[in-house]
Amino acid sequence: MRELGRIFSRRRLVLGLALILLLNGLLFVREQRKNDYGLDITLPVSGGIFFFDGTFTVTQEPVDAWAAYQRYSEWIDRARKLPLADAVTMLTDEKAALSAKITGDTDTENDRLDYVAVNNLLSQTDYLTGYGDWLENIQKNKDNLLTFSIFNDPNSFSGRNIIKTADEFEKLQGVELTLGTDGAVDSFMSFRLTDYFLLLMLLLIGLSFLEERKAGLWSVVHAAPNGRFKLAIRRTLILFGTSVVGVLLLYGTDLALGFSLYGGFGDLGRAVQSVETLGRLPMLTTVGGFLARFFLLRIAAAFLVSLLLWLMLTAINNVKYTIIVAASVLVVEYGLYTFLPVQSAFNIFKYFNLFTYISLSDLYTNYLNIDIFSYPLGIRSISQLALIPLCLILAAVCVYVHCHKKPAAGHDLLGRVAYGINSVTDKFLRRLHLFGMELHKTLWIQKGVVIAALLVYVVFGLSYTVSIPIMSSAEQAAKQYTTQFAGPVTDDTFARMDAEQTLLNNAIAAHKDAQAAFDAGLIEYPELDKYAREASTAQTKSEGLSKVRSRAQELRDKGAAEGFAPWLVDETPFESVYGARAEANQQKAALVAVLALTLLLAGSMAYERQSGMTYLLRSTARGRGALVLRKLLLAAGMTTLVWAVVYGMEVYALLSGFDNPAWSAPAKNLSMLTAFPLNCSITAWLVMLYVYRWLSLFCCAVLVLLISSLLRRLEVAYIAASAVTLVPSVLSTYVGIAALRPLSVTLPVSAMPLILSANGGLTRAGLAALVLLLTAAGSAACLSGQGRGPRLRLFLIKRGQARGGGV
Amino acid sequence: MKLELINLTKQYGNFTALDHVNITFTEGIYGILGANGAGKSTMMNLLTDNIPRTEGQILFDGTDILKLGKDFRRALGYMPQQQGYYEHMTAQTFLSYMADLKAIPKREARAEIEKLLEITNLSDVRHKKLGGYSGGMKQRVLLAQALLGDPKVVILDEPTAGLDPKERIRIRNFIADLSRERIILLATHIVSDIESISDRILMMKRGRVVGMDRPDRLIENVAQEVRESVVPGHFSLEDVYLYYLGE
Repeated sequence: MRELGRIFSRRRLVLGLALILLLNGLLFVREQRKNDYGLDITLPVSGGIFFFDGTFTVTQEPVDAWAAYQRYSEWIDRARKLPLADAVTMLTDEKAALSAKITGDTDTENDRLDYVAVNNLLSQTDYLTGYGDWLENIQKNKDNLLTFSIFNDPNSFSGRNIIKTADEFEKLQGVELTLGTDGAVDSFMSFRLTDYFLLLMLLLIGLSFLEERKAGLWSVVHAAPNGRFKLAIRRTLILFGTSVVGVLLLYGTDLALGFSLYGGFGDLGRAVQSVETLGRLPMLTTVGGFLARFFLLRIAAAFLVSLLLWLMLTAINNVKYTIIVAASVLVVEYGLYTFLPVQSAFNIFKYFNLFTYISLSDLYTNYLNIDIFSYPLGIRSISQLALIPLCLILAAVCVYVHCHKKPAAGHDLLGRVAYGINSVTDKFLRRLHLFGMELHKTLWIQKGVVIAALLVYVVFGLSYTVSIPIMSSAEQAAKQYTTQFAGPVTDDTFARMDAEQTLLNNAIAAHKDAQAAFDAGLIEYPELDKYAREASTAQTKSEGLSKVRSRAQELRDKGAAEGFAPWLVDETPFESVYGARAEANQQKAALVAVLALTLLLAGSMAYERQSGMTYLLRSTARGRGALVLRKLLLAAGMTTLVWAVVYGMEVYALLSGFDNPAWSAPAKNLSMLTAFPLNCSITAWLVMLYVYRWLSLFCCAVLVLLISSLLRRLEVAYIAASAVTLVPSVLSTYVGIAALRPLSVTLPVSAMPLILSANGGLTRAGLAALVLLLTAAGSAACLSGQGRGPRLRLFLIKRGQARGGGV
Repeated sequence: MKLELINLTKQYGNFTALDHVNITFTEGIYGILGANGAGKSTMMNLLTDNIPRTEGQILFDGTDILKLGKDFRRALGYMPQQQGYYEHMTAQTFLSYMADLKAIPKREARAEIEKLLEITNLSDVRHKKLGGYSGGMKQRVLLAQALLGDPKVVILDEPTAGLDPKERIRIRNFIADLSRERIILLATHIVSDIESISDRILMMKRGRVVGMDRPDRLIENVAQEVRESVVPGHFSLEDVYLYYLGE
């Protein structure tokens, strides 16, 4: 119990475990949302119009996946009341009717949701109705394949494998599959991150066993009467307990969230093959039975993995060396498991692998036999059978190693290697000046380089553009005409529009003439049809042209009133990147930028205090003002790095995705910037926007430095700085607590939600900038106060003495 | 060269850590003796301007050190009581960094670091990270940084704490060998550390200076006062310590 108490009395460990649990839950829900709750939400194509250089398809608003899932639940309840064949007929008819509505542009939002629900349900029924045939095909394949000479040798792996596969699936003949909501089990089996979170959890517990070595207490523990066998047994039990609790908490959370999202427990008594993900599992059991079995095996597998980790971590005396070896083993094992092809002659390394027990669900979603001396052995069966013996053997080995490993033995090979490396790096580091050393401390000592690498990785996964839906053919036509007439709005623009309008009118008139000719029997129907289609297209184009003309006129009037040159601009690129629809993207990018900056700088000042260096630094000539100035320069440098990475990608997305946007056009010609008070070009506006973002980020960086300077421990500084810079932003943006919006740092960093006129215009942006600048200036003053303080204190002391007292 | 403490007072709420102290330091080694909580470290922190004073003045050659600011700190070498160091830096890098903070030009710093590593017997482990150093080795690195830049005022707060006897003697001799053209303040509660090397001993108790003189004179004075109770010739600085600072 005391060992358990010792391990869990470490706040960092408990915090880490709690964070893992929280992240697992959050990412699970996020994954479901990202995967549209397991639904295929594509809709049938609704048609298009012929234009200048091709046919353009009208795109539609994407379907709300969550609403579609609710509809799916209703439809599945309806379908389950019918025999499967009747349900299929009903769903097929319904799909055809909904499809016709959607392609005929007569659909409603409900029709689209129903279509997605019915379409997905039909896919599910297709699987259920086809499962019997699939099983039969396995048997037929066996007979067919065995007729070929290369397979019919009963002593070869191929021959035996064909027979074994057919035999195993023969047991499933006649199994009755039932329609039901599979989302919970599907998501539970497919969410791989939980496996890695469990590994991390076990690794943290394993690392806590190294505490006595780090603290130099290993010899003391080893010399104590209960420090060997009893402690080893206790630790084995702790690992088992952690495996049980970890699996129940992590996988239990997944399952509970899955059931909650996907409509309750459903029918757990269905045959497990009813869930398509588990269709290849040759085992007669129910969904509930499978889940119970999976949890038990998961616990045993987690225990095995934890023992392996413990063994790796304790087998070598040097703590750093042992961590490097353990990390290397994990990397190699992961590489073999992930990248070795199934067909490889070395696939034994893929399956007899630590990660087989980490990614346990693979054993149940795939069917595979491997070649062991020409005998096909099911990887699932072997792994399951080996679990308990392996656990017992490893536990015994771990206990043995713990008892017999001598603390004072071993050579510090790593120390010698590190000394050699340090002698080289020292030559470089001694050339660095104060700023260089601050950079070294941030990037290397405080692992900022890892944050920077992660930032680049995350930024590559960010989306900076949104598709702007075109709701009708007329809107599509307007877009095309905007491109055609893009440029300064002059009399010539209107003249060109008039000419175009005449052409369109002619096409409409030609149809009327053709109709008259057809009525008079002068032309045949196909010819009339051609005129009719041309007239219809001309009508649509005419509507589009009319919109463009109105916009041009509006810009001309506004330009005359406000003194800017009217310019017809294709707004799609700007709407797509900076518009209101892209707000979620901008918030996400801002959040990533603020998070990276916080993690890069939160340790900067706290590190000095944690190292006990504050007094020493302050006693040196440059340890006050000059050092603080370098810290501020560092903040500026880190801000620039983060800003360049995050927003460099945004600019790249703008430049690479669109051809020749109108950079020199006055910014006020963009609808979203109608209320922008300055007469400047789009380029100048963009420069201002990015400078504003840099400034906001820099203010945030200075604030982080101030928070860091107030705290003594690195971990606390990271948590406190994140709480100030990130929590209000996350809660206001993703949880919807509007009251926290004014405290959200990501709002001024993303800038556009403040600038867009619909949200209050430039005043808010200016106010936000002012508040941030004041905060940053205050923070900088507090930080540099150390440098100016003495003179102020001298003044106060003298004043106090003049009054006959102290200060 | 003069370092004057005039009416120097430090209060923490109602607690007076340093009570109207008046001392003038000139060139030489000053051993500051006192039990824990006597005010030694408070005085050191006031001298290095690491805590604000409540009252009084600290003058360096006639000018208040707060006014002198970094000009005073340029002349200052400080080794704090708490071992402050960057555990991920090697001794070499740490000393280079401290030299930069002390505004010592790179070329001069390189030669000085070489010399100080040699003196503190750390040359062979200069590329080892400070986190892997023993307590004594860390003390030596901190002493080395305090002496970087040939400071005129050296403040050493418990410089021999945690050192083995051999190291203590080595460091003590090194301090004794330092040029006498500087003010060296050496705070400790280990009497033997300063007995043989100090020009003056300062006795501190409850924030006040209760005695200050040459070690032999202190012994003589105390011996005269208590001669009835002690055996002549067997009187030491430790007895002086007990006389002044004992309960």
